[in-house]
Amino acid sequence: MNFTFIKEALPQVLAAIPVTLEMALVATIIGWIIGILIAVARRNKIPVVSQICAVFVSFIRGVPMVILLYVAYYALPMMIYSATGIDTTSIPAIWYAIVALSLDQAAYSSEVFRAALDSVNRGQLEAAWSVGMTTWQAMRRIVFPQALAVALPNLSGLFVGIIKGTSLAYYVGVYEITATANLLANPGLNFIEAYVITTVIYELISFICNRLFHTAETRLNRFRPKTVA
Amino acid sequence: MNTFQPIEILRAIPKILQAFPMTMLILLSSLLFSLLIGAAFAMMSLSHKKVLNVISKGYVSFMRGIPTLILIFLIYLGLPQVLKRIGIDMSGVSLTAYIIACLSLSVSANMSEMMRSAYLAVDKGQREAALSVGMSPAVAFFRVILPQAVGIAIPTLGNNIIMLFKETSLAFTIGVLDMMGKARAVSSANYGATKLEIYIAAGLIFWAFCFLMEKGTRLAEKAYTKGRRT
Repeated sequence: MNFTFIKEALPQVLAAIPVTLEMALVATIIGWIIGILIAVARRNKIPVVSQICAVFVSFIRGVPMVILLYVAYYALPMMIYSATGIDTTSIPAIWYAIVALSLDQAAYSSEVFRAALDSVNRGQLEAAWSVGMTTWQAMRRIVFPQALAVALPNLSGLFVGIIKGTSLAYYVGVYEITATANLLANPGLNFIEAYVITTVIYELISFICNRLFHTAETRLNRFRPKTVA
Repeated sequence: MNTFQPIEILRAIPKILQAFPMTMLILLSSLLFSLLIGAAFAMMSLSHKKVLNVISKGYVSFMRGIPTLILIFLIYLGLPQVLKRIGIDMSGVSLTAYIIACLSLSVSANMSEMMRSAYLAVDKGQREAALSVGMSPAVAFFRVILPQAVGIAIPTLGNNIIMLFKETSLAFTIGVLDMMGKARAVSSANYGATKLEIYIAAGLIFWAFCFLMEKGTRLAEKAYTKGRRT
């Protein structure tokens, strides 16, 4: 182990964490919103939209992340250019990665949300109607909180998955944790040191995320009566 | 700016499919090894020894927290450096072997969790009933518990295989010519002029195979659980 290298490289790799987190967070927020919309569209069987969503979900789930990233990276500039004529060279690569990661999250989370909404008893919605709530009120106050509690464990898995997925953004030139470690390791061939640092960082991020989701899960499940084990 | 030529997608498909045997080789070997490693860790997590439980749990959560790409770099670039210092030369190991090792390790965590939960999902009474009619624990496991656990695990196994199949696309990162590596090679052969079309073609190929696997899983589940569960 080359400890001088670790001492020099560590701050620089740590400095790349915000890039990774930014990608993951933005993609998660966009992805989950689209995911909820897809879930609602497919559950209510809205004609045409529902079928398009089904194909979209199947496609994204069948294509490896790397290919998705490459396609977003090469297709989007072309599409933006031909649609608006804007010069795309000034758009940083991170945005293409975010688009690819968001689509990935949208597809996977839509399945999670669909199952979670299905798990809420229909009687809950009917009961809410019968006390005079509108459908929107009933969804927001009664159905969504219960569905979210069911969805959280799976969403936690998806979030950790996307943190891991951001490491692939290296291949479209985003300087996140992996890319930085690679860049630093190459000149002195300090591979083992660089990747041990990276491994520790990813493990810590995953660990913290799991903790946070676990806390959220306990909080959201407050309403459930405690059963005696 | 290049213009998009859909015809190039069709032209690229047969070229990429030339690498299909390599992808299959990686997929099947990693599947075999990940099932073996997974079984070992599942057994450890189900044993009554605390130490084994902790080791298994630690392994699973480690593998779940590390991106496969980092695992590949760690093993392909890092491991030989460490082993060299203690006098082991790894230069004879083929690239494909590295990829198979990395994917097996990475997926084995999911395989282990799959086996553990399938085993636990089989009703305890089944084992007790088997023992009460005079079967030995081993016979009870192979004749009564395992067949039921396999039926429970099939959908998850299908998902894991699809995930593994998609992960084989990472083989290109160390220069193995799998379908993704081939796509990159084809793309650079014409100086990247049709790179978008080629990656779309690769995506479509992966999608088609995933679709088939999903259908296959459903058929297997139906065939296997027929008449078993009421």
